[in-house]
Amino acid sequence: MTGTHFFPDKVPVLIAGGGPVGLSLAALLGQYGIQCLVLEADASWCEGSRAICISRRSQEIMAWVGADEALRAKGLSWVGGRSYFRDTEVLHFEMPSEPAQRFAPMINIQQYYIEQYADAASLRAGCVDIRRSSRVTAVRQLTSGVQVDFQASDGGSRSVIADWLVACDGGRSTVREQLGMLLQGVQYEGRYVIVDIEQDTKRTVERLAWFDPPSNPGSTILMHRQPDNVWRIDYQVADDEDPLEAVKPENVLPRVRAHLDMIGETAPWKPLWISIYNAKCLTLPSYRSGRVLFAGDAAHLVPIFGVRGLNSGLDDAGNLAWKLALVQKGHAADALLDSYSVERVLATRENIAYGAKSTEFMAPPHRGFALMREAALRLALVSPRVRVLINPRQSSPVEYAASRLNEPDDAAAFSGGARGGMPAPEARLHTLQGAGHLTALFGSSFVALYFSDHPQALTALKASVECMRPGVAALRIVRVASHGDPDDCSVVDELGQAWERYDAGDGTLYLIRPDGYVLGRWRAAADAATRMNRALNRVLWEIDDEQRAN
Amino acid sequence: MNSAQIDLVYTELSQCIARVGEAKTHLFLATLALDLLSQQTDAEGALEHILKAERLANM
Repeated sequence: MTGTHFFPDKVPVLIAGGGPVGLSLAALLGQYGIQCLVLEADASWCEGSRAICISRRSQEIMAWVGADEALRAKGLSWVGGRSYFRDTEVLHFEMPSEPAQRFAPMINIQQYYIEQYADAASLRAGCVDIRRSSRVTAVRQLTSGVQVDFQASDGGSRSVIADWLVACDGGRSTVREQLGMLLQGVQYEGRYVIVDIEQDTKRTVERLAWFDPPSNPGSTILMHRQPDNVWRIDYQVADDEDPLEAVKPENVLPRVRAHLDMIGETAPWKPLWISIYNAKCLTLPSYRSGRVLFAGDAAHLVPIFGVRGLNSGLDDAGNLAWKLALVQKGHAADALLDSYSVERVLATRENIAYGAKSTEFMAPPHRGFALMREAALRLALVSPRVRVLINPRQSSPVEYAASRLNEPDDAAAFSGGARGGMPAPEARLHTLQGAGHLTALFGSSFVALYFSDHPQALTALKASVECMRPGVAALRIVRVASHGDPDDCSVVDELGQAWERYDAGDGTLYLIRPDGYVLGRWRAAADAATRMNRALNRVLWEIDDEQRAN
Repeated sequence: MNSAQIDLVYTELSQCIARVGEAKTHLFLATLALDLLSQQTDAEGALEHILKAERLANM
């Protein structure tokens, strides 16, 4: 598409930062037919394991760009974990999972593999131009775009005008700094050293945590297995320990060795990477500033505990991509992008609330929390009801409860299922291609799920719904039948999971956004098709008018 | 109490310990313990709690 030293003067979307969030966003936008230029300051993939736990929701987002197979093949899936006080188990937790599920609740994999898979997906999309060793130096908002100056890999200074700039350039975001925007929130003092080591092991893949272990009295240690015979080990350092001293191999390796000996992992090992971390609960108040949008660590920093960092960044990408594509293709007013900020700031607030709770236990910020943790861990030995305090509160999808995109819900008509703003539930189905999953329908356009055992009703619905828009603006109507045979417009819910999880009756209609969230739902009302058309049009065109009216 | 309520109580107690300060933490916790133990239906149950807490503290 381009030579190494040639840069376009103008691009539809410029993504600052080619980490896992920037590359995943580029792959999604590329899939939606939006040309992107990605500028990444580093020459190659990140060093060290970094974000290692990929949630089910993140796996679903990676699947939209065809990166899930590589992820599944390389990653180590897991469903639960164990916590120990000294050397006694005080918690065994398991995340929701079921036979023949599409994705495991969590996969462990080094961040640099995620970057590689997202990079490959971007290239497959065909209209993404990734430039490494290219550093953004200045950002200026223009009336109808953004001017971005950068230093290219040849050392020369360049400038490009973008219709939209998305800042995915991490916690020390240059774009954020250029616009004078500040993260708000709190930072915690407690520090954790993080270490990757290579060691052969047969141990089950699960999250392991030790509080006050005999190997390192007074510390807290986390361990996760990763691909390539790598252990990721995180341990808490004392408050009075110098962070520069704490990461020196002569201080790190004896602690790691003592712990490996304690748990009986005696195979030869070698260190691969050492870093240090302290928990932060920081966010921008808005993720949109004119024609600049913020995603991932550039927008928010959440504590490592509960694995909400990269997972929330990938959710940002999943939320933003379809909206930006609709706006850039002229199918929606740019006010749609405000909903990206509203929904994802809401998600960050929830992630921060959970992250802060986890941090208060994993790295107690003052003696009140430290003393209570001591008490809770002791009591957990004999009292199961307090063990909930030790639970790591793993990442789970957030409900966009206050989003103005949600259709008003007829609460009286439904006693369960998922209302507007909730992630659409998963279900196993029989499809024309064989056994499949309902969430595999999402990610490329709007989807209408029509629960009906009458094929002719689908024909009638199609005749009254506007579904001829192209690309991500299209509406795909799928009939979910309770029995019978699948066809190219119908899937069969042989196990009854979909009908139950959507609280469906004959004629129930759900409208799902391209990112797999419910936009609205209707019982078997005669005007359901009209109401769905109205909901879709409101998202696509009329939101500007509504906002003016408000 | 459900999980969320236990969580809330844990956080509030942690914050309160910090507020009363190190010098008064023992007095605060002793007052709290006596208040709760006096609400037990009989002394036997209260003494069980005391012995359990003593055993755990001496671990």
